[in-house]
Amino acid sequence: MEFGPILRSMRRNKVRYGLIVAEVALTLAIVANCVNMIGAARSDMAKKSGFDDENLLNVRSTPFSPAFKEQGYRDNSVAQDLQVLRHIPGVRAASNTGFLPWQGGGSSTETRVAGSKGPYLRNQIYNADESTVDTLGTSLIEGRNFTHEDVETDTVRLRDLNNATRERTADGRAVVPFAQNVIISKAFAKLLWADGKALGRSVEDNDGDTYRVIGVIDHFYNPYGWPIHEYVMFYPNKNNSQGGGAPFLVRVEPGKMAAVRQQVEKALLAANDGRNIRVQSITEIKSGFQAQSALLVWILTLVIFLLLFVTSLGIVGLTVFSVAERTRQIGTRRALGARKADILQYFLLENWLVTTMGLALGVALAFGLNMGLVAQLNGTKIDPGLVIVGVALLWVAGLAATYFPARKGARVAPAVATRNV
Amino acid sequence: MIFHNLRIAAKSLRRNTTLTVLIISGIALGIAVATTFAAFRHAFAKHPIPQKAETLRYVRLDSWDPLKPYPGNDPTQPPTQITYRDMRGIMQSKIPMRQSGMFVSNMYVYPDPKISRPFRELVRLCFGDFFPMFDVPFRYGSGWDAKADAGPEAVAVLSEEMNAKLFGGRNSVGKTVRIADRDFRVVGVLAKWEPNLRYYDLTQGGVRVPEKIYIPFNLIKPMQIRSSGNSDGWGAGGAPGFDGFLQSETCWIQFWVELPSPAAAAAYHDFLNAYALEQKKTGRFARPLNNRLSTVSEWVDVAGAVPRQATAMLVVSLLFLAVCAVNLVGLLLGKFLARGGEVGVRRALGATRVDIFLQHIVECELVALVGGAVGLLLSLGALAAMNAWLKATAARGDFFHLDAPMILLSIGLALAAGLVAGAYPAWRTCRLAPAEHLKI
Repeated sequence: MEFGPILRSMRRNKVRYGLIVAEVALTLAIVANCVNMIGAARSDMAKKSGFDDENLLNVRSTPFSPAFKEQGYRDNSVAQDLQVLRHIPGVRAASNTGFLPWQGGGSSTETRVAGSKGPYLRNQIYNADESTVDTLGTSLIEGRNFTHEDVETDTVRLRDLNNATRERTADGRAVVPFAQNVIISKAFAKLLWADGKALGRSVEDNDGDTYRVIGVIDHFYNPYGWPIHEYVMFYPNKNNSQGGGAPFLVRVEPGKMAAVRQQVEKALLAANDGRNIRVQSITEIKSGFQAQSALLVWILTLVIFLLLFVTSLGIVGLTVFSVAERTRQIGTRRALGARKADILQYFLLENWLVTTMGLALGVALAFGLNMGLVAQLNGTKIDPGLVIVGVALLWVAGLAATYFPARKGARVAPAVATRNV
Repeated sequence: MIFHNLRIAAKSLRRNTTLTVLIISGIALGIAVATTFAAFRHAFAKHPIPQKAETLRYVRLDSWDPLKPYPGNDPTQPPTQITYRDMRGIMQSKIPMRQSGMFVSNMYVYPDPKISRPFRELVRLCFGDFFPMFDVPFRYGSGWDAKADAGPEAVAVLSEEMNAKLFGGRNSVGKTVRIADRDFRVVGVLAKWEPNLRYYDLTQGGVRVPEKIYIPFNLIKPMQIRSSGNSDGWGAGGAPGFDGFLQSETCWIQFWVELPSPAAAAAYHDFLNAYALEQKKTGRFARPLNNRLSTVSEWVDVAGAVPRQATAMLVVSLLFLAVCAVNLVGLLLGKFLARGGEVGVRRALGATRVDIFLQHIVECELVALVGGAVGLLLSLGALAAMNAWLKATAARGDFFHLDAPMILLSIGLALAAGLVAGAYPAWRTCRLAPAEHLKI
C-alpha cells in the first residue's frame, strides 16, 4: 500500500486537506442532526389515533335563529339532525360529541383514584352518546357502552346540577357528590391502576364527585398541549348550546366520503334553516395540525440534499486540483511501470483517508451539536445508528466524488513525464 | 485602484466560466439557505411594536391552585391569563396610562340579507384604551371613549376587510350593524393592520391576524358573552350561571397596561403584589407571590410564539453556509495558485505583495456579492413558497418577508463568507515567488 507517500503529501498541504476534513465533519454533523429531526417529526406524524380517521367527518351546526335560545328546541334539533345524518346514503354512524380528533387540543380535567390521597392526574374529558364509540371506529375491550337512557338521564342530572348552587363543605367539596358512569382509554386505566383493571372502579375529582368506569376503549391518541395525549374519559351527555351550537362526528362507509360530504349541509339546512353548517373531514383537520411538521420534514430533506451536493462538489474540486497539480508525477510513475489501476487506487486511498479523518471529527461534532440542540431547543437525542448510517453515506459519496476526476488522472500518458522537464 | 482591481477580477472570472459558475452557485446556495431561515425566524421573532417596547406590559397573576403550579412546560410560570374578578380588582389602579382586559368570542353578525346569510365572526371585547395602546391605525372615525366603556354603549370598530364586506368599503361611521341580539353603531374603521404576530393575544399561537370586529368589554354582562378562547380552571366548580362563571377561579382574560416609565412599572408591580396580599386575606392567592409584568418581547418568549424549530433551523443553515465557505476555499485555492505566471509578471513589473493580496480579495468579494445576489433571489422564491404554504394551512399569507434588516444581513453574510473563504488563498497567492514562474 502507499500510505507513506500519501501521508507525506498530505503533510505538505495541510490546509487544503484540512479544509476537506472540516467540510466532511460539518456535513456529517449537520446531516445526522437533520435526519434526526426528520425522524422525530415523522414518528410524531405517524402516530395512530385509534379511530377510523379516513372515514370521519366533523359537522358543526351554529344557530342564529332566536328559536335556538330554548333548550328543548335545541335538543329536538340535535335529535332531528342525527336522524337526518344517519339517513344520508353512505353514512355508517353519527354522534353528538364535542370530541374532535387531531384538532391539537380539547378539554381536560383532573381526577385521582377514588378514596386515595394521591395527586390528581390530568386527563382529557369529552361528552359522548351511545353512538360515539362506534362512530369513532374504535371498540370497547372491556365492559359496556353507554345506552340511550344513560345519555338522557345523565343530561338531565348534569343540567339540574349546573343550574343550582351546590352546598359545599369547608374544604370546598360538594355535600352531596354524584356518581357518573364513564368510559376511559386503556392507557388511562393503566396510569390509574397498576394492574390496569379499571372496570367497576372509580376516580374522583376536586368536588368529590366520582366517576365509575363501565367500559374501556382500546388505543386512544389525541395530541394535546399538555402530555395527556392518551388519557381520556368520556361521559354521557348531550352537547348543544346557543353560543357554541352542536358538534357532530359522522362516520362514512369507505369510499363514500366525497358523496356524503356534498349532501350534509344541504340535508341539515333542509331540516332547519336557522343556522350555518360547517363540514370538515378529519383528514383535513389532521393535515392542518401536522402542517408545520410536514413543512419541517420537507425543508430539512432539501437541506440534506443541497449539503451533500455542495460537499461532493468540494471533493470533486480537490481531486481535480490534485490531479492537475500532479500530472507530471503521474506521467513519471506511469513511465516507471505503474498501472492505471495503481494511479486510481492512489487517489481513492488519499480521499478515503481524508474523508475518514473528517468523519471521525464529524461523529464528535454531530453528538456535540445534538447535545446543544437538546439542551437549548428541546431537541430529540440522536440515535447512534443514525450517525453510523451517515458515516457510510458520506464514505460512498466521497469515493463517488473522487472516482471520476481520479480516473481522468489515471489516463495521463507516460509520455507527459518526458515533456518540459 | 479599486476599479482597476474590479476590472481584472471580472476578466479573471470570465476566463474559466465553469469554475466561476461553480463558485458563484456555491455561495448563492449558502446565502439562499441562510437568508431563508434567518427571515423565517425573523418573521416570528421581530418586535411587533418596537415603538412601545419599553412601555407595554402583559400582566399575569398567580391565583392558581395552592396544591400545584399551573400546568405547562415551566412550573415557575403563573397562568397565562387572569380571572374576571382579578381584572376588575387591578383595573382600580391609576398607575397605568392605559389599560385593557380583553378576550375573543364567536358571535353572530346579521348583515343586510342582500349581502349574505348571518355568519359567525371572532369578535374582540376590549376597552377603549386598546386602540391607542397598540397604535391601531384608523381609516375612518376612531375607537370609543371612556363614556362608551362605562355605559356600556353598543358601539363597534370594524376592520378594513369587515367594512368592505358589510358596507362595500365606504365610510360606515354612524351606520348600524347587528351583532348577536342588538344593533351596534360603527364608530371606527381600521386601516390595514397586520402585525407579524397577534402579540396582544398569544394564547392560541401567534400566527393569527387581528380580529375583524371590536366591541366594549363591559357588554359582557348585559349580553352574557362567553369567551371562545382558551380558558384554564382548577379546583371545585363555582356557583351556577353566568355570574357564577364570572366569579370563578377560571383564568381566561388577557390583560395589558401601558406604563410611561420604569418607575411607573416598578410602582405598578408593587401595586399588583399588594393586591395579591390583600386577596390572600380572603383565602385566595394561596401560592407564593408570583405576579409577572412582562414586556412584549418577554411575553412572546414565554408564550413560545417563536417556534423552537425555527431557531434550530437557523443554526443548521448557518453551519450550511460555513460548509459552503470551506468548500469555496478549496476552489479558490486551486484557481489562484494556477495563476502563478500572471502573478509573477505583475510582481516583476513592480506590484507589491499587498497589491496582489488586495487584488485577489476584491475578486473574492465580487464573486461573493454576485453569489449573494443570486442567493437573495433564490430565498425570495423560497419565502414565496412558504407564504403560499401558510396561506393554505393557516389562512395567513404575506407572513415571511425579506425586509431591510434581512437584506443587509444577507449582504453582510455574503461579504463575510467571501472574506473568510478568500483570505487564505489570496495570502498564498501573494507569497508565490515570482522568479519560479517566470522561468519558462
